[in-house]
Amino acid sequence: MSRGRAGLGALGVLLAAYGGWLLLSRQDSAGNLDAVLWLAGGVVVHDLLLAPAVLALCWVGARLLPPLARPAAAAGLVVLGSLTLLAVPFLGGFGRDNAPDNATLLDRDYTAGYLVLVAFVLLGVVLPVLVVTVLRERSRGQG
Amino acid sequence: MSARVGRWLGISFGICFLTGLVSHYAQDPSQPVPFPTSPAWGYRVTQGLHVTTGIASVPLLLVKLWTVFPLLLQSLPAGTGARLRAAGERASNAVLVASSVFLLTTGLLNSTQWYPWEFSFRRTHYALAWVAIGALLLHLAIKAPTIREALRRDVDDPALDRPTATEQGALGRRGLLRATWTASALAVLATAGSTVPWLRQVSVLGVRSGEGPGGVPVNRTARAAGVTETAVDPAYRLEVVWGTRRVSLGREDLLAMTQHTEELPIACVEGWSASAAWTGVRLRDLLDLVDAPAGSEVEVTSLQQRGAFARTLLQGNFADDDRTLVALALAGEPLDLDHGYPARLIAPNRPGVLQTKWLSRLEVLA
Repeated sequence: MSRGRAGLGALGVLLAAYGGWLLLSRQDSAGNLDAVLWLAGGVVVHDLLLAPAVLALCWVGARLLPPLARPAAAAGLVVLGSLTLLAVPFLGGFGRDNAPDNATLLDRDYTAGYLVLVAFVLLGVVLPVLVVTVLRERSRGQG
Repeated sequence: MSARVGRWLGISFGICFLTGLVSHYAQDPSQPVPFPTSPAWGYRVTQGLHVTTGIASVPLLLVKLWTVFPLLLQSLPAGTGARLRAAGERASNAVLVASSVFLLTTGLLNSTQWYPWEFSFRRTHYALAWVAIGALLLHLAIKAPTIREALRRDVDDPALDRPTATEQGALGRRGLLRATWTASALAVLATAGSTVPWLRQVSVLGVRSGEGPGGVPVNRTARAAGVTETAVDPAYRLEVVWGTRRVSLGREDLLAMTQHTEELPIACVEGWSASAAWTGVRLRDLLDLVDAPAGSEVEVTSLQQRGAFARTLLQGNFADDDRTLVALALAGEPLDLDHGYPARLIAPNRPGVLQTKWLSRLEVLA
């Protein structure tokens, strides 16, 4: 390992250790316990729920969808899947419980907005990928 | 593939880290180097960038984790040394993944004021930012040769693939990259309207539509702060104190002083911001009433009883800046109760939480 890489790695360990010390030294143990639960929870939710769910969806898609539709479905899954995760706190509007008398917080119709976003992705992302796949396949058939 | 998504993820984490440090420093009462008062829109930009790059990172992180997920299921190599090295690398990856997922999740939830946890958001988010950036540097150090090699080669070149990857995905690598960039760009467009006014119409997931009394959203209402009675009390006085010198002013007294109007943004740590015309008395004019020397720090106290920001420190350079006002009006109308009636602080380039509302006392510190 070169000296530059070793130095970078050592710096990384140092900064992370500083962060760990900041985390543990600046609040009570109940707060720290909760932070650790959230840290582990994020990994567990991703590795044991989200990733297997996406794997299962891919498995089902590979069996049910005709090959021509698969690229479009995969593009739709990447874009809509991540946007849907982002939309959860907005669609749920959980922050409003924290400030029920604040009319300027989360003040749009997020369900309608989300549906517009979904429609836009279907028309602007999924459909073009489908068209390109079909055209490419057709030209390959002719060539 | 993973290196290409990782490059952008690394860049946006870098931006998040640096803008986060700026925000943390701006809120720190003790500043060896004073936080600058100019440009007035500085904090609006750094904090807007912080939240926007964080949101852009969500699709990037999801795809990045997806591309390396099969590696998690691989068994450790044979031989004690190799096994230890692989286990160590996995442990460092676990720290990187856990802290990254934590930062993006808590940051997103905080921007919508949803706090389903017991820990202090600000301290924990800050501490884990150091953990994440440290783990990221370590990851870069370990992977440097692979990353360099991967970025040099064509994205479809299978030379660096794990041996078990034999089947091409439905979308192909270029297609997956395109979908990832699209997801990131749409995530930004859908949310950035909270801080970029001309995007308001398209930001269907903006936390704030930019509306509110005087065209400015409210972060904490008068009721939430518990000041609905004290703020409208006819006996209201603003105390200005320096040592034994003391001046007590009602709202009428403040209105009778020379009024100035400044166009200043209010920029919240949660990422939203709005620019507005504030009118009121120059803070420096008030300090002159008690002959406070130039460069003095001022302790600003609010009528609000609860919360970490009921009392804040205004650094000398902010106190002396001509644009720093005790605002009495917003957009030509008397200040709304939720915007800090009867009087609030507004200063350039200052985090929203320190723009103290419902002022009750300005004490010049010796």
